[in-house]
Amino acid sequence: MQLVKLSLKKANKIPIEADNINPDNFAGKSAEEIKAIPVWYGNGQCPLGDFFYIEVEGSDSAENTKIVFEGDVSRVKRIGQNMSAGEIEINGNVDMHCGFGMKGGKVVINGDADSWLGCEMAGGEIILNGSASYYVGAGYRGEACGMRGGKITVNGNTKDYLGEHMCGGEILVKGDVGLLPAISNNGGKIVIEGNATMPASEMKNGTVIIKGEVYDLLPSYKEEGTEEVEGVTYRKLVGDVNIGGKGVLLIK
Amino acid sequence: MSEILIKNASVCDPAQGINCEPMDICIRDGKIVERVSGNAKVIDAVGKLTMAGGFDGHTHSAGKINVGRFINPNDARKNPVPGLSGQVARTEKTRAQVGYNTPNTYAIGYRYAKLGYTTICEAAIPLLAARHTHEEFKEIPILDKMGLSLFGSNWQVMEYIRDKEPEKLAAYIAWGLKASRGYGVKIVNPGGGEAWGWGRNVTGLYDPVPNFDVTPAEILIGLAEANERLRLPHSIHVHCNNLGKPGNYATTIETMKLFEKVKPSRDRQALHVTHVQFNAYAGTSWRDFETGAPMVADYVNGADHLTFDLGQVIFGPAVTMTADGPVEYANARMLHEKWSNQDIELEDASGVVPLFYSPKSFVNAVQWAIGLELALLVKDPWKIMFTTDSPNGGSFVNYPEAFTYLMSAKRRAEVISGFSKMALDRMVLPGIDRELDFYELAVMTRSTQSKMYSRPEKGNLKVGSDADIAIYDLLPGQVDPSTEYAKVKQAFSGAAYTLKGGEIVVKDGEIEATPKGKTYWVNAKVPKSIDAAMQKDIDRKFRKYYTVSKANYMVEDSYIQKPVEIDTEGVF
Repeated sequence: MQLVKLSLKKANKIPIEADNINPDNFAGKSAEEIKAIPVWYGNGQCPLGDFFYIEVEGSDSAENTKIVFEGDVSRVKRIGQNMSAGEIEINGNVDMHCGFGMKGGKVVINGDADSWLGCEMAGGEIILNGSASYYVGAGYRGEACGMRGGKITVNGNTKDYLGEHMCGGEILVKGDVGLLPAISNNGGKIVIEGNATMPASEMKNGTVIIKGEVYDLLPSYKEEGTEEVEGVTYRKLVGDVNIGGKGVLLIK
Repeated sequence: MSEILIKNASVCDPAQGINCEPMDICIRDGKIVERVSGNAKVIDAVGKLTMAGGFDGHTHSAGKINVGRFINPNDARKNPVPGLSGQVARTEKTRAQVGYNTPNTYAIGYRYAKLGYTTICEAAIPLLAARHTHEEFKEIPILDKMGLSLFGSNWQVMEYIRDKEPEKLAAYIAWGLKASRGYGVKIVNPGGGEAWGWGRNVTGLYDPVPNFDVTPAEILIGLAEANERLRLPHSIHVHCNNLGKPGNYATTIETMKLFEKVKPSRDRQALHVTHVQFNAYAGTSWRDFETGAPMVADYVNGADHLTFDLGQVIFGPAVTMTADGPVEYANARMLHEKWSNQDIELEDASGVVPLFYSPKSFVNAVQWAIGLELALLVKDPWKIMFTTDSPNGGSFVNYPEAFTYLMSAKRRAEVISGFSKMALDRMVLPGIDRELDFYELAVMTRSTQSKMYSRPEKGNLKVGSDADIAIYDLLPGQVDPSTEYAKVKQAFSGAAYTLKGGEIVVKDGEIEATPKGKTYWVNAKVPKSIDAAMQKDIDRKFRKYYTVSKANYMVEDSYIQKPVEIDTEGVF
């Protein structure tokens, strides 16, 4: 087991682009080596040690490496980008692109996340105990596939475009979501326990279950009876017929 | 006075019939000369293949490619060719580069130069959008540029052909070239662009164009005759009707035959047919789709009046962009892809659709084979220009990869081994064992272009020519391209030296300098009286239909970087 603790020396206004803060990159490294890892700060690179106090206990493989952020890192972007194993725990808020392109491992955020949480992730798990902003599990501009695998659990709310262009994997939101969740989906499963507005437009494939209120349901869905999931009966809608979609939208 | 001496180069210069012979090349003030003084800077090229700078005669590198950038923001993140694409940070000598199929302007210049290319021709400029194309030209470093202006579905052109006014037609072409600062006449799916305005297309050479009472055959011949009347340096440059449709090889051969009677006014072809791969399809639908390359190659082998280029497919992501609006609509519908369509007022309609060529798709595999079949079945390399129709068949950064297909049957067999039986049944490539040598490759990538574009100072190493030179770390005779194709690919991917106008722009595969390139355009002289009569007609067009006025139309000199005006005297 290797435990790496990072705490910010002082809050930064200019964002840090920490695209190499992940267990794959930290495993087996000493505190000195981790301090020397360069991260982008504004338009230049600086060593990680300039921004963080770093403590390391033990030394192990990526699977057995845990990174813990003590306190708020709301201006640190791309934490956990492309990680394939291990665990990251963030005890505060986190900036955009957290867990982008994740392939395995686990990220736990005990605060709020900004936009693009877990976008284009292919495996692993993200647990967000606060709320997220826009584009959770989505794809970047122009991409045909957003999230492809893994699981994102949001215990709070999210804003618009949840799971845009999703092709696989699972998203669970305990609270409410904003406009157009599951837009242009091609696979995967989204469960929303709260309310949603205009869900699943242009969905081709995949499943969306909404347990709360649905505002402005799109007219491009065909009602096909009911379906029971875990003892609850939902109206079953299939679409989006505008694009010959076979996605399933289950609502109350 | 700057002098360079390239010593003991292994020179391959088909224009002079030099086939990989050791010799020295002398350069003074950007030109190749007989001899230089003892003060000349010496480049030791012992054991290095040396050719004229490459010349890509059909590429989409300015103008429409910008629409490709808009609709493919994801392309900026792609990096399938390490070191050549994807995001590359700026250095002291280069600006930041992004993109693969639709790279930013700087990346286009750097990447071509790294491949040893020094001149490109943007193959489609709508007259109305010419200003933007030249703005992009300005930002493409190193390379010399030229562009072909679109005339194939132009109202004024079709009216003059219908009304049998060949002199005014020639005057209009001359004005259009001047207005767009273009180098030649490009025709895309003649008549189809106008038909597309009505949601339709033309299906062959003898379909009337809606509302214009002319046929594609009449447009082709009319423009070819105007082209020869103006004595333009390049012949008409034709994207045939029915592009991308099974069975279209017949239309292609029919188009080629149509030009047997056209007499060129210069020592060059009467017709250039472009990206023939997309126009050499047999079968009647996508189910029974198969290669039509043997039929096309057969005809070309017996004909002397034309040149063509390949439009070779590269497996992986591509972005199709063409002034053939209807074909792009069909692509987008078939592939369920995003698309962009642009209607250029009275002039043409174009579209952009991204797609992915997969070796697992039998159609894509056969398309890949057709390009190579054309190159290998046509005996005379002087009729062939090598292209991928970048980025339609794939990005130009893959040229070195494609060269290995042409030069090695073993390499082809390797790729073919991944194809399905269905794909193999539809192609003839596995039965072809021809392998091109460096001399033939030099013909297809440099020498043909020099002749077909009538640019005697380009694409060869004669005394007096531009000192655009590519030196590759590869010694013919010691490297066998049929087996050591990995070495060939590596050497062509990053030139040991690229010289542009006598300046070293690439050294050991890295950018050394980024000078500005020249822009070639053709100013064809027309008698004043004919010009005045034609101007009256287009004045009416502008008043009645255009959203801009004629005064705002002309590309001003300030838009042209280092202009080179080619004057021709028309015969009236």
